[in-house]
Amino acid sequence: MAEYWYIAEGFEEKVQSFLTNNGESEVDMMFTVPEKDFNTAGKGSSEVKNLLKRLGVESGVLRRIAVASYEAEINVAAHSQGGVMHSAVFDDLIHVRFEDEGPGIGDIEQAMVPGFSTADDLVRELGFGAGLGLPNIKKNSDAMHIVSEKGSSTLVEFIIFFA
Amino acid sequence: MNKKDSKYFHAIQILEDNCTGCTACVRVCPTEAIRVRDRKATIDPNRCVDCGNCVTVCEFHAIIPSSDPLDIIKNFKYRVAIISSSFFGQFSEDISYANAKQAVLQLGFDEVAEEAMVTDFMISVIREYIRENRDKRPILSSNCPAVVRLIQVKYPSLLPNLFHHEAPMSILTRFLRDRISKESNLNDDEIGIFLIVPCVAHVTAVHQPEGAYKHLQDGAFSTGMIYGKVREIIKSVQNNPIEIDTYPQGLTWALSGVQAELVDTDDIRALSVNGTDNVMDILSRVEDHYLDQYDYIVLRSCTNGCVGGCLNVENPFVAMSRIKKMSKDADNKIIHVEELERLYEAGEFAVTPLAPRPIMELDKDIKKAIQKMKKINEFLTMLPGLNCSACGSPTCYALAEDIVLGKASLDDCVVLKRNKPGDEDED
Repeated sequence: MAEYWYIAEGFEEKVQSFLTNNGESEVDMMFTVPEKDFNTAGKGSSEVKNLLKRLGVESGVLRRIAVASYEAEINVAAHSQGGVMHSAVFDDLIHVRFEDEGPGIGDIEQAMVPGFSTADDLVRELGFGAGLGLPNIKKNSDAMHIVSEKGSSTLVEFIIFFA
Repeated sequence: MNKKDSKYFHAIQILEDNCTGCTACVRVCPTEAIRVRDRKATIDPNRCVDCGNCVTVCEFHAIIPSSDPLDIIKNFKYRVAIISSSFFGQFSEDISYANAKQAVLQLGFDEVAEEAMVTDFMISVIREYIRENRDKRPILSSNCPAVVRLIQVKYPSLLPNLFHHEAPMSILTRFLRDRISKESNLNDDEIGIFLIVPCVAHVTAVHQPEGAYKHLQDGAFSTGMIYGKVREIIKSVQNNPIEIDTYPQGLTWALSGVQAELVDTDDIRALSVNGTDNVMDILSRVEDHYLDQYDYIVLRSCTNGCVGGCLNVENPFVAMSRIKKMSKDADNKIIHVEELERLYEAGEFAVTPLAPRPIMELDKDIKKAIQKMKKINEFLTMLPGLNCSACGSPTCYALAEDIVLGKASLDDCVVLKRNKPGDEDED
């Protein structure tokens, strides 16, 4: 499996300590993201946003989380055979994981290039698939991790700190 | 009017004797401000945005709008009415715009002005603002007070996107007060300026001015009340008409779609939205940066815009059609806006940014908020998940939250109580 890591400058230690501590999350949320179902896609990220508003997460951070999770959720709906979105809220950060049923990303580095897209006609017709998905998640995240391979499932996860 | 328990004024009143505890209002409230406890509805004044949805939905005349009685104009020597643009859509076609306006004048005013007089000027100010603030996209309209409060309460991150100039009726108030005090020897407190408004949010804006409604008026009259009084004298007006200026093109301001069409131009892309649910959906998308391609979004809380306000008498679609017809049929009186432009250039219409009214947070401290959220989730697993609102909270989630915040208990759940073995209340 090919792997891609991005950690924003200055966040190396915080991300490392999060990954090694392996602590238990405080609040969890799960959503299934059905394939090509653009009516429900976006619901998961919208619920996560409502949860974070309840927790009083600062509005700038909230908008970054909203953009990243909406992008990723639409990606799963548009490009995969369906998947799940799992959000884990900790005291100081949110960790959102998207795991799908394939078909996998052939070239992750290429998918990270702004404007690159493999979206099919149906997806483009619905107004998605402009190819901004993954770079936009990266832009809004403090850390991002992708594991995938052509013909296999894809994991996209990101971490955003609250302060 | 509801002034107690809160720093916020609201133009909505509950008549306890009429309330049956049916929970219809609980379910239509966009900020989950209403609870029914002991079969009576109560409104949390910190959450209420004066959208009027509960007023419209209540079948028992238990939630009623408040506005000022017409008598209060007698406290002033010179009385001016400013009529909201939706007003003339209320009258059937046998009552002309000019006659209806004359009738308003004859209710005891010295002068009648209209929101419609300054809407052209507003459009140019809005366009200039959009062009000067390229860094903020989209710009959100601020003339619907319910939308502005909704943003303060639920979408505070969007406050900087609001159009930061006064609304037309507020600008007119300032302009008229200046002109009248210059032309006459009257003191400020002898000049009474009143709005005739289509909704409770505007009544609130008059009594608690802030944001786009910073210029104080002396009262707000309900469209419905004025409509009734106009109908009483309309026959005599029709028999003795006087010459009166009308501004049919400007009336389209009351229609949510038209303002967007008017602002839309080569370099400005505008979108219009109306109805509370649509407004919330769009605001949530703006929050996600998914509507950044729009330069301007016109947001109105009521169906079709101000014609849908709960103080109107006519159906919003009929009123809309009438206004469209009027605007096609006739020409506007030319309005001289030099004085308005002078005030605008002097920065008189700019408004200070509004502060958020965050009500969604469970706790100021995020760690405590998380602990409360965990408890909410625990209670949520015990509740049936029917979202029936029979407990008086809008959803099972809201009840769980009320329990954790000490405002309710599990016993409030009607379904749980029914299924509890050996309970006395069981049939």
